[in-house]
Amino acid sequence: MTLITRRLAGHLARGFVMILVVATISFFIVNNIPGDPMAARYEKLIEQGMAPEAAQQAVKVLYGFQPDGTLWQQYSDYISGLLRLDLGVSVTRPGTPVLDVLTDAAKWTIVPVLVGTLLSFLVGIIFGVYAAIKRTGKLGDALSISGSLLHGIPQYVLAMLLVVIFATLIPILPADGSVDILYEPGFNGPYIGSLVEHAVLPVLTYALSAYGGWVLAMKSSVVTVLGDDFILAAELRGVKRSIVFRYIARNAILPLFTMLALSLGLLLGGAVFIEKIFNYPGLGWLLISSVTDRDYALMGGAFLLITVGTILANIVADLFYTVIDPRVRSGEEAS
Amino acid sequence: MGTQAPGVRIGGLTVVYKTPAGELPAVRDISLTLEPGTITGIVGESGSGKSTLALSLLNAVQPPGRIAAGSVEIDGLGDVVGLAGEELRKARGRHIGYVFQAAQNSLNPLKTVGKQLLDLGRSHGVEDLRGLVREAQELLGRMGLDGARVLDSHQHELSGGMRQRVGIMLALVLNAHLVVLDEPTTALDMITQANILKIVREVHAERGLTTLVITHDIGVVAEVADRLAVMYGGRLVEQGPTREVLGAPQHPYTKGLIKAIPRLVGDIDEARALPGRPPTLATVPKQGCVFRERCALRMDVCDDVDPAPQVDQGERGPRTVACHAVTVKEHA
Repeated sequence: MTLITRRLAGHLARGFVMILVVATISFFIVNNIPGDPMAARYEKLIEQGMAPEAAQQAVKVLYGFQPDGTLWQQYSDYISGLLRLDLGVSVTRPGTPVLDVLTDAAKWTIVPVLVGTLLSFLVGIIFGVYAAIKRTGKLGDALSISGSLLHGIPQYVLAMLLVVIFATLIPILPADGSVDILYEPGFNGPYIGSLVEHAVLPVLTYALSAYGGWVLAMKSSVVTVLGDDFILAAELRGVKRSIVFRYIARNAILPLFTMLALSLGLLLGGAVFIEKIFNYPGLGWLLISSVTDRDYALMGGAFLLITVGTILANIVADLFYTVIDPRVRSGEEAS
Repeated sequence: MGTQAPGVRIGGLTVVYKTPAGELPAVRDISLTLEPGTITGIVGESGSGKSTLALSLLNAVQPPGRIAAGSVEIDGLGDVVGLAGEELRKARGRHIGYVFQAAQNSLNPLKTVGKQLLDLGRSHGVEDLRGLVREAQELLGRMGLDGARVLDSHQHELSGGMRQRVGIMLALVLNAHLVVLDEPTTALDMITQANILKIVREVHAERGLTTLVITHDIGVVAEVADRLAVMYGGRLVEQGPTREVLGAPQHPYTKGLIKAIPRLVGDIDEARALPGRPPTLATVPKQGCVFRERCALRMDVCDDVDPAPQVDQGERGPRTVACHAVTVKEHA
């Protein structure tokens, strides 16, 4: 257990440094984007007839920071704010902290993407094993082809295809939004039903677009393991088929956990197209609207969230390997 | 099968591999008898078909290969070529032990040796798993290893020589009395190699086994085998008691092989490599002698007629040579 704690401590320290580096880079990039939203807001207030001093004061109160400090001052304010989990205030939603906006949007992303990813992972793994074992048969071929095909279709094409089929041709599902406003929010049947109904198409899009990758990756992994000597050795010792199958499955699935962890890490920012098309108020949608609205504080916050997600996913994947792969475990002991 | 060393009679065995050029034989019409309680060595170059022959003993030729003709009669089991499914699975491990080449990874990298031992026991319906573990520890201890520690280890924590001993243990722990060792010492250092061979010899004698050792190293065979069979191009060209074959080789290929071994004393130039290359699946002649391309004694008849094995009943067991030149000399 001490080994895992030691590893975790090392990872967290490295992750912290990486987050600071990314925050610094994104601070300077955002800072150098032409156009100053503060100045725009300030000018707007003056146009509305406010006195210059009053307008400046109003902007300062609304956004909680000084738009005219030196670059260094702004940077150190930003970083010390970060350390207190203060990501600043949204430009388009005056008075609302960026962190609140992000956490509010996060739930609309995390649950559907998680469900979609895990669903596609499960189905993809099972079909991938089958495609590998029956790779000379027709069904195996069909599964591989289904994988290549779905892997090749861009997410947004798939999303629009599903909208056309299930919302236009056979109108059984809502085409956009996250929930019907008719229903009283809370833990009641109609509201939850509406939530699920709206989530079906986005989740299906995630699942279908990720499925192809899992099938192909699992198939090639199983084929590799099938050619390994220890599988033949186990068969020659007369080990039962069901046990040999477990040997194959466990060894083949190992490399896929890295991919799963990384795709879960990207979950926080990866659903841009899907959320845009289904008008689903998640993080991807938020990122796009922050870009079009020039809400730089929100944009910086969203970038940072994606960074944190990816770094955390890497840490989780690595610790997970320490638990499931004996080779990784003793590799650490030796060093 | 009981605890008796079984005899094995391979008769007219042909194994073919499916290739784009059609089905090509890797092993052609081989007959070989393993007497109960003996160690038989099979030597041959890479691609001579010796590993295919070894796998045939377990009816485990891997696709795209298949046994096209012949039989492998094992005492107590019958003809294994006719076995399939559960019957075949139960024969493997329980009656026939198979030891892989040491350098190959014959263990599941994610499980400890002990857990794989239990998998093996459960697969064969062993009820006394504790007894099985005890037996395994004893075998490992017998081979100079700390049994408890090894059972608790993963493959990557063991050296090549240790893995090979684990392989031997797994082949014997279910009390199989026919043991096939495929290149048991390849890729091991000389000292470990000598150790493993000593273990093979001792365990063979102690447990009363019938053993088949496949190797490309004549030294290994000279060390352990009672009888020696030489393979070339999927054919058995010569076989007989090890001492006789090595002391007075008759087939020109066997002679060439022995001449190619460098000696510890004397001039290194005395070792002569055989000219030419061994045939591959695609280049093995379809008729006539498989060795004629590299043979110094080549005659016209060698091009068309496959030399039939000539059996000579010697004092220490039968001696067989398949060569026209040898036959002509004897009859002249």
